[in-house]
Amino acid sequence: MAFTPATACCKPSLVLAPRASSRGSAARAQAALLCTPSTSAFRGLRAPASAAPAPRWRRSAASTGIVCGKVSKGSVPPNFTLKDQNGKPVSLNKFKGKPVVVYFYPADETPGCTKQACAFRDSYEKFKKAGAEVIGISGDDAASHKAFAQKYRLPFTLLSDEGNRVRKEWGVPADLFGTLPGRQTYVLDKQGVVQYIYNNQFQPEKHIGETLKILQSL
Amino acid sequence: MYTLTPRCHLQPVRRSPPPSLSVPSRADRDELRSTWPQRAWTLAGTAAILSSLSTSASLVAAGSSSPAEPLAAALAAYSLADLATGVYHWFVDNYGDASTPVFGAQITAFQGHHRHPYTITFREPCNNLHALARGAALALTPVDAALSAAGSTSAAAHAFVGAFAACVVLSQQFHAWAHEKRRRLPPGVEALQSAGVLVSRAQHAAHHSQPYNTNYCIVSGMWNGLLDRYKVFEALEMVVYFRTGIRPRSWDETDASWKEDTGAENAAAATAGNDGLLQTAGISSD
Repeated sequence: MAFTPATACCKPSLVLAPRASSRGSAARAQAALLCTPSTSAFRGLRAPASAAPAPRWRRSAASTGIVCGKVSKGSVPPNFTLKDQNGKPVSLNKFKGKPVVVYFYPADETPGCTKQACAFRDSYEKFKKAGAEVIGISGDDAASHKAFAQKYRLPFTLLSDEGNRVRKEWGVPADLFGTLPGRQTYVLDKQGVVQYIYNNQFQPEKHIGETLKILQSL
Repeated sequence: MYTLTPRCHLQPVRRSPPPSLSVPSRADRDELRSTWPQRAWTLAGTAAILSSLSTSASLVAAGSSSPAEPLAAALAAYSLADLATGVYHWFVDNYGDASTPVFGAQITAFQGHHRHPYTITFREPCNNLHALARGAALALTPVDAALSAAGSTSAAAHAFVGAFAACVVLSQQFHAWAHEKRRRLPPGVEALQSAGVLVSRAQHAAHHSQPYNTNYCIVSGMWNGLLDRYKVFEALEMVVYFRTGIRPRSWDETDASWKEDTGAENAAAATAGNDGLLQTAGISSD
């Protein structure tokens, strides 16, 4: 069945905590999950490894932080070939043998995405030290990516996901009742298996810290 | 012998506006004084509000309602008015321009205010409030009439609409006080600002710092913390962007025509010498 962001498993809510999937105990996940606003309402949470990825709607916060969609923890995401900011085709398979951080973001030159890109840039050395590659993906075209990368001196690859095809294939959930492309980051290990997924639309800088933590344990 | 010269008796300081900007570099003194049409609209708006509130009071006096309901409704209206002013302020600060239908004049006014924030403290009351009072007169009167015509005996409904309109109209006065120097505030206003009943000068000063994307509410400012913490306006901006492709002004480097004109005001202070009535800072620092 085709998956579209509009029918994503999430029933997005501004104050719902972000979804994350990684190793962790069910009890910790239950305790960590919150649906009520707090001073840091958007937190990366860990769901149990056994959480079933099948449901396509967002359950109440009392249940697990299930990451719905086709790509989930432990799965090997489908390969893609997309154009980078220089118009060159880049395949995900090319990065096998090293960890990869693939982050999907809404659009170039928007406040959150700029903060996120600059945060990845500022921590890029740490990612390199961990032997990882960073790839940003949005629906913008190569020209937009090139301008964005040049303006903010981004050292990593930005890929154009025209028509949001890869976003849909991977099952990146949309936010705010499907009106906003979701902001979700995947950490793939050397074998190309997803080890961590982090989702947080409105605290984009947190993606960097959360993914670095996981990389250091891979 | 030293005497204070009333503001209105001072000679206006004339200077030519910078050619690159469509907004005048500084309002002439005459533009800050109340005109008779402005007084008339302010009176009309005030009358509509008082009529609504007195209808509510008379219903309570007639025994059809306890005082608690209209009081609760008035409090709810006070809260909602703060949110409403924030949403409206966010909208005119970020979208449209002078040519926008209906809102063009307001957008220009807000643009001018961003350029010269302190000018609002020079405006005479009716000059400051007449636009909102006109809105109240035109909108509240039929609503109140409809409530009465529907045979409504709800004191709370009249209290709600009356209080909402009052807070929205007075928001511009609260806004002016949020720009005023502490020593010039009427008695009790500073205490109300400190208590969070009226929007505080510190909170509103944060709105006048680049990129001008926080603290939009100007009645009590009670919603500012929540709206900013949960990035509600940023979320709305993203939705508008993805739906329409329109970027809000706050996303990009602030255009010169929206930035505070500190240079002109500093020069004015130097020219005015000991004239303490020509203020230089957009927000008072004391």
